[in-house]
Amino acid sequence: MDPTSRPAVVIDYGTGYTKMGFAGNVEPCFILPTAVAVNESFLNQSRTSSSKANWQAQHSAGVMADLDFFIGEEALAKSRSSNTYSLSYPIKHGQVDNWDAMERYWQQCIFNYLRCDPEDHYFLLTESPLTAPESREYTGEIMFETFNVPGLYIAVNSVLALAAGYTTSKCEMTGVVVDVGDGAAHVVPVADGYVIGSSIKSIPIAGKDVTLFIQQLMRERGENVPPEDSFEVARKVKETHCYTCSDIVKEFNKHDKEPARYIKHWRGIKPKTGAPYSCDIGYERFLGPEVFFNPEIYSSDFTTPLPAVIDKCIQSAPIDTRRALYKNIVLSGGSTMFKDFGRRLQRDLKKIVDTRVLTSEARLGGKIKSQPVEVNVVSHPIQRFAVWFGGSVLASTPEFFAACHTKAEYEEYGASICRTNPVFKGMY
Amino acid sequence: MILLQSHSRFLLQTLLNRVQNLGKAVELDYHWVEFDDVRYHILVSMKNPNVLLLSVSLPIPPPEAVFIGGLPFGAIEALKAAYGVVVQILDPPRDGFNLTLKLNLGKLPLDEEHRYALLLKIASVREVVLGAPLRVVLKHLSSRTVIPGIDGLLALVHRSKESFFLVPQPDKVTVVFPMRFKDSIDIAFATSFLQEFVEARHTAVLNNAPPCLWSPNPPLELKEAPAEALSANAGFVSFVIFPRHVEGKKLDRTVWNLSTFHAYVSYHVKCSEGFMHTRMRRRVESMIQLPCCYLLAGCAASALHVKFSWNGCLVGDSDRNILPLQATQVKGSYLVTHVVSQALDRAKPGVEEKKKSPNSRSFKRLSLKEARANSIS
Repeated sequence: MDPTSRPAVVIDYGTGYTKMGFAGNVEPCFILPTAVAVNESFLNQSRTSSSKANWQAQHSAGVMADLDFFIGEEALAKSRSSNTYSLSYPIKHGQVDNWDAMERYWQQCIFNYLRCDPEDHYFLLTESPLTAPESREYTGEIMFETFNVPGLYIAVNSVLALAAGYTTSKCEMTGVVVDVGDGAAHVVPVADGYVIGSSIKSIPIAGKDVTLFIQQLMRERGENVPPEDSFEVARKVKETHCYTCSDIVKEFNKHDKEPARYIKHWRGIKPKTGAPYSCDIGYERFLGPEVFFNPEIYSSDFTTPLPAVIDKCIQSAPIDTRRALYKNIVLSGGSTMFKDFGRRLQRDLKKIVDTRVLTSEARLGGKIKSQPVEVNVVSHPIQRFAVWFGGSVLASTPEFFAACHTKAEYEEYGASICRTNPVFKGMY
Repeated sequence: MILLQSHSRFLLQTLLNRVQNLGKAVELDYHWVEFDDVRYHILVSMKNPNVLLLSVSLPIPPPEAVFIGGLPFGAIEALKAAYGVVVQILDPPRDGFNLTLKLNLGKLPLDEEHRYALLLKIASVREVVLGAPLRVVLKHLSSRTVIPGIDGLLALVHRSKESFFLVPQPDKVTVVFPMRFKDSIDIAFATSFLQEFVEARHTAVLNNAPPCLWSPNPPLELKEAPAEALSANAGFVSFVIFPRHVEGKKLDRTVWNLSTFHAYVSYHVKCSEGFMHTRMRRRVESMIQLPCCYLLAGCAASALHVKFSWNGCLVGDSDRNILPLQATQVKGSYLVTHVVSQALDRAKPGVEEKKKSPNSRSFKRLSLKEARANSIS
C-alpha cells in the first residue's frame, strides 16, 4: 500500500512538551515531557580489562545500554527513583541541543508510543522560525537515513499555529503569532502564509522563567517545600493555579482582604522520606504570569513588556500589512494558557496603539482623523497544542504529500533539500 | 525497550481515561495506524457516553492465508473467550474495517485490578484477533494433537499481503518467516542481525529457547507453498516450537512474539542503524578537531552517506571530494591535494611506484600552477 494513503505522523517537539499523533485527528495522541533518561552506569565502568571475554561482556553490556532508556513521564519517574539513569533535555530554548538524545527520543516516540513503522508514513515535524538551516539538515538526515521515512515536511510552528485558527473561524493566513512555549518565546508576523523573517522578535522570558520565578518566590517566603522537589512543585503550581490579573495593586489588596478565597494550598509527599508536607500558594498565583507584562520584577537585563515587543514587531513589518496584523494576534504555546492572558494582552496593546494614534493626531493639529486601528487578540481553547492541530490540518490535505521532501529527492540531492523552507521566501 | 508490547499504548490510555471520567460525556473520534497496517478507530458519542465503538482493520491477507468473513479463523471464538459480556461484536463491521467491537463501559468489573486486566486485554485486541489461529495451533500442541482437517502447511497473515507459515505436528510446530525489507541497507542489516540471532541461540543460557535457523533459500518445509510467497530478500527464519514453550502462561507471550517477529526485527534494524549513526557522528566530531581538518570537514559532510567502514570512507570520499574542494579553496588547494594524495598512497600500494615516474599523472599535478601551465601549453 502506498504511504500517502495512510495518515501522516505529526510530531511537534517543544522545549517542555512534545505533542505527537496522526494527521486528521483533533487532538494529539500523546503529550509528553521532552526528556530522556539514559542508563549511564555502563559507560562509567573501567575499561582496563585485559581478557577478551571480559571485553565482550562489556561490549554487549554497552549494546544493551543503547536500548536502556526512557522518555517522557517514565523518564522523569525513573530518574527520580534510581541513580543509574541520568536525565537530559534534548531541546534547549526551542533548538535541538543534543542530537543523540533527540534521535533516541524520536525512536521511542515512533516505536513505543505511536507504534508505527516509520517507512509507512509521511512525517511532519516542526521547528522554530529561528532554526538554523544546518539543524534542519540534521533533522532531515536523521529522519531519512535512520528511520527511512518516505517523505518529510519540516514546518514552521508559527505558521501552523495560524493554520489552526484557519479552520475554526475564518480564512486568514495573515497575523502575528505570539508563541510562548516553555523554553522560547517568539513574536512572528506572518503575511499570507509567508513569514516576515526580518521582523521576528524573540524575548528571553518563557514558561521556564515563570516556573523559576515562582520557585524563587516560594523559597523566599520560606514555604516548606523539599528543595529537590521545588522546581516540579513550582511547575505544577504554575500549570494549575496561576492567572493573569488586570492590575497588580488591586490584586494585592484583594489577596490581603480575603486570604481564605485567594490563597490555595499545596499538598505533597517528600520524595526521599515519604513524609507528607503542605504549603501555601499566595501572590505567586498572579505574579508568575506578570513577568510577561512587567519583566523588571524578574530580570534586570530585559525590561520590555510583551505588548511592547509585539507592537515593535508589527511596526517593523511592511506598512501595508500592519492593520491586518493588529487585527489577528494569535496566541500559541502552553505558557499563554493563563486565565485572561489574551484579554490583558489586548488591553495593553490597545493602549499603546491608541496613544500613538492620539499623539500623531495632535501633531497634525487635528486636521486629519485616522481610522481607528482594530486590535484583536485571538485565543482558542486548543492553544496548548495549536501548533500540532495546525500540523494535523495541513497534513490531512492532499496537497501536503506534494509539498513533502521525498526519500527519492533526498537520495538524489542529499540533505541540502531540507535547508530552505518555502514559507520564508515570499516577502523578500 | 527490547520487545514490543502487546497492547496499544494509546488505546489503553484512552480506555483508562474514559473509565475514570465516566460521568463526563465527551465526543471522541480518533483514527490511528500501527505497524503492519493495523488501523484503529474509536468512536464515543455525546448521547451515549458509556458505549465505545472500537473498529480494527487488519492487513490485507495474501491469497494463501485463510480468512473467514474478513477475520482469521478462530478469531470470533478468541474474542468471546477473552472479553465475555463487556464486548459485543457488531455484524457487519463499520465500513472499511474488519471488526467492530461495542464496549459497554458500564459493565466493567468494579474491582480495580480486574478492570485494569480487562482493559489491558482490550487494548491488545490486535494480539487476540491476529494471533487467534496461531493460538489454536499452539493450544493443540500443548495437548500434543493436530487440528483435524489441516495437514501440511498453514499460512497466516502478519503483514499486508505477506504471510508466514506453520507446519503443525503432534510434538512440535515449525514456524517459518520469509523476511522481506524494502531498503537495501535494511536488507544487509537484517541479514546480519538474523545470523547473529541464530548464533546467540547457541549460547548456554538460551538452551531452552526454541531452536532457530536462518537460511537464504526457502527451507524444505515450504516446498508446497506458492512461488510468489517464497521471494524473500533477507532469507528465511524458522523456529521449532515444542510443547514446553506453550505451557500455561507462556502461551500468550509465544503467540505475540511469533506474530510480530517481523516488526521486532525491523525495530531492531532501525535501532542499530540509529546507533551506528550516533557513533559515526561522534567519530566525525572527534576527527574534526584533528589538524588536517580540511580533508575531514569534507568527509564530515558526507559521512552519513558512506556507511560501512571508515577506511573505505576516507579513500572513496576523498576521491569525490577533491574536485569541489579544489574549486572553492584556491589557497588551500595545494594542501588538500597533498593530504589527499598522501591518504591515497597509504591506501593503495600501487600508487607509490607510479608517482615516481615523471610522466604519470599523480595528484600533485592537479595543483593550480601546473594546471594552468598545462592549459597554456
